[in-house]
Amino acid sequence: MPKSLRSHSSRSLEQNNTSRRKFLQSTLAGTAGIAIGSQLPESWLMAAANSSKSDRVMVVIQLTGGNDGLNTVVPYRNEDYKKARPKLAIARSDALSIDDDTGFHPSLKGVSELLQSGQFSVLQGVGYASPNRSHFESMDIWHTCHRKEDRKREGWIGNLLTSATDSSSSDAPGLHLGTEDQPLALASRDLQIPSVASIEQFRMQIADDKRLKESVHELIDASNDQAGSDLLNFIQAGTSSALAASERLDAALKSSQDSADFPKSALGEKLRIVSRLISAGLSTRVYYVTLDGFDTHAQQPDAHASLLKQWSEALSSFLKQMEAKGQADRVLVMTFSEFGRRVAENASEGTDHGAAAPMFLAGKSVKPGIVGKLPSLTELDDGDLRFHTDFRSVYATLIEDWFGVPSAKILGEQFKKLDLLRPT
Amino acid sequence: MSQQNAQSGLDEVEPDWAWQAWQPSDNEPWNAHRIAHLFRRAGFGASQQQIESAEKSDVTAILENLFRDAADTDRAWQESTDLAKAVLNGGDAKQLAGWWLRWMRVSPNPLREKATLFWHGHFATSADKVTDVESMLDQNQLLRQHSLGDFGEMVRAIAKDPAMLLYLDSAYNRKAHPNENFARELLELFCMGEGNYSEKDIQELARCFTGWEIRRNRYRFNSFQHDNGKKTIFGQANIESGEQAVDVVLRQPAVADFIVSKLFRYFFRDEVAMPAKLLKPLAEQMRNESLQIGGVLRRMLSSNLFFSDIVIAGKVRSPVDLAVSFLRSLDATTNYRKLAESLNILGQVVFYPPSVKGWDGGRAWINSSTLVGRANLIHQIVRDENTQFESLPLAEWVRKRGINDTADFVDFVCGQVFAKQPQATAKNKIVESCKDSGGRKYVEALSLLASLPEIQLS
Repeated sequence: MPKSLRSHSSRSLEQNNTSRRKFLQSTLAGTAGIAIGSQLPESWLMAAANSSKSDRVMVVIQLTGGNDGLNTVVPYRNEDYKKARPKLAIARSDALSIDDDTGFHPSLKGVSELLQSGQFSVLQGVGYASPNRSHFESMDIWHTCHRKEDRKREGWIGNLLTSATDSSSSDAPGLHLGTEDQPLALASRDLQIPSVASIEQFRMQIADDKRLKESVHELIDASNDQAGSDLLNFIQAGTSSALAASERLDAALKSSQDSADFPKSALGEKLRIVSRLISAGLSTRVYYVTLDGFDTHAQQPDAHASLLKQWSEALSSFLKQMEAKGQADRVLVMTFSEFGRRVAENASEGTDHGAAAPMFLAGKSVKPGIVGKLPSLTELDDGDLRFHTDFRSVYATLIEDWFGVPSAKILGEQFKKLDLLRPT
Repeated sequence: MSQQNAQSGLDEVEPDWAWQAWQPSDNEPWNAHRIAHLFRRAGFGASQQQIESAEKSDVTAILENLFRDAADTDRAWQESTDLAKAVLNGGDAKQLAGWWLRWMRVSPNPLREKATLFWHGHFATSADKVTDVESMLDQNQLLRQHSLGDFGEMVRAIAKDPAMLLYLDSAYNRKAHPNENFARELLELFCMGEGNYSEKDIQELARCFTGWEIRRNRYRFNSFQHDNGKKTIFGQANIESGEQAVDVVLRQPAVADFIVSKLFRYFFRDEVAMPAKLLKPLAEQMRNESLQIGGVLRRMLSSNLFFSDIVIAGKVRSPVDLAVSFLRSLDATTNYRKLAESLNILGQVVFYPPSVKGWDGGRAWINSSTLVGRANLIHQIVRDENTQFESLPLAEWVRKRGINDTADFVDFVCGQVFAKQPQATAKNKIVESCKDSGGRKYVEALSLLASLPEIQLS
């Protein structure tokens, strides 16, 4: 990278060591509004100045197991709903009202507030033709945008990041946070997308010792001043970035101001980490987290309520945190599940695998409200809701309107875009 | 790519010089620096004793030894096979990854393991999908057996390998619905590379493989599902069986070009395209030698180009290479199961390649989370109670090696581990930082050395 860029630092962390300061100047490219986790070439800086899309981030929350859409966004006035669900139907008096016909599950207080503040949208009736009711196969379809017969082993986000990532950045283009296997959505032939179990994996453990930490700083700083081969220069720049990111995370971890806001749940913890990574200025474009347990075949009410509460609280804390950190304009959250559930409840106070269901978008850039109608509860497809909106149309919209890259190559064909985001 | 070629100086290299056997001279002596380079690239580094003993020998004898097909009946291999069987009983492919990492560390035939790892990335198959651990081990043995041998034999075997066919969904390949997946990858990723075949070739090839099935994890030919019609592949008419089809593919001239350029990427430099004039003589040799791998690889590893500054320190170490070379060149052993888990963070778990394309290598290994992960990996290894150096704790081993202070230790490690020597100022800083740390000074020095960018190069 051009050395001149290294003087762009306008940021200084509390410190009193001259070589340390020099190190920070050389690595924390704090130019306004630009991801500082990486060494950026001049051309990219120009592009960033011209298009605000280049530092946008998407967080994907996958509700694994098949979320019951009808009890998430409740059609409480619908007689067919009450008839199909004598035990599971949520009463109007319990739901959190959206409009005359519809309300949120009572656990979704945070989500309901997000909608009221214009930061949430419900996309009704999303799915695909000839729905597959196997968890794994349907999830693969959502991940790859292809059916099993097509044998695609690349994911739509893997393809997206191949198109939308600046190759000179040394931060990971996307990141999966969790201990489960990496979602196929992130698979790519050309990019390596890390899966990490904890934030510890971004921290240099040697930095736990103050003296050694100072030594590492001095060593990396000194190594940047020497000219090496092109390859060595690349690794030097990457090492500086890595150390800088580790340093910023350390600082972010020490500031306790956000931790109280996040619920003590698995998803809350993951989104807390994501919020810190975003605030620390990594140039990572997509963060992927999952919440498992939505396969509610039996005794659904308590389990579903607790999962929705976890999702709602974590999501709402996350967006508040992004707002507080001045990151809200560049963050969008998409929530999906591999399918909805059967309209009629089963005999064990649960629901079986279904088809079409709502998807959810959250963030300041979202056009708020309910998009699309609830599919008919009587004209069913083997007992399941019929989709009217292809999930790939939602993907296409996000790819083009949020990330600003063409979607046809990423998704395999051109899908109709929807009007989901506020104009910028 | 072309810009990187220009910077590497590779475009100016003349093939006659490049592939001529390197001879030591007063300017370029056979010394520890070049010996360590050879052992790093043709294996996973070497201990100080191995390097010292190689200094008394010569490059021809060392290469002879590396390519010697040591019998797998030796004691170490027997012990390793026993371990592998124990792993199979556990049914966990992550354990199998630990088993292989250990074998890379201790094997008396490091080149064979380095080559087996190359072929594992080439014929990439993941235990993520192929859950039968025994099939994964069998494929690994198949690759090891042919790793320096006959490429054609390896392809013929892999075409019927249960793990491969399960991985590429070819386990049920029916006449009415020929599965093109294996046929496509055979041409695109295994033998020829994109642009050397047509879609029609793939369709015809797929018909030849109909009826090739995997039942109870064994290959079986189902004549009822085989398309007996005549097929035309690469202009050759009247092809009937899958075996004939593989032979037609192997006769295509592009095969040798493709394999040689991939060997170049893996053993020489992964950031530059191999210039055509350098590729040509080696591909010709490989074709003349009926696609034998050993001959052409031996010429490459003996060559002027291999021992030149264009190649030395011109590669990014893979995570496996970083870890195993670190252990091997410092006579260290560790908990390999744990090591396999740690390598996951760095993007390379053996038996779990990310896609059928294997690992890209080069700069794709490097990002801010993997660089932190690499430094942490060494940091953890040297602090792990399971890590020993010739069965000794680090400080005792250092004493045994006759090293008395931090400065000597840093010099020693740099010579053993680094392809590109760190600056003297960096080494001095490390010595300064650790010298008063008493019993911990060597552990701390290793952690600091692992944070240097130079350690990522091979």
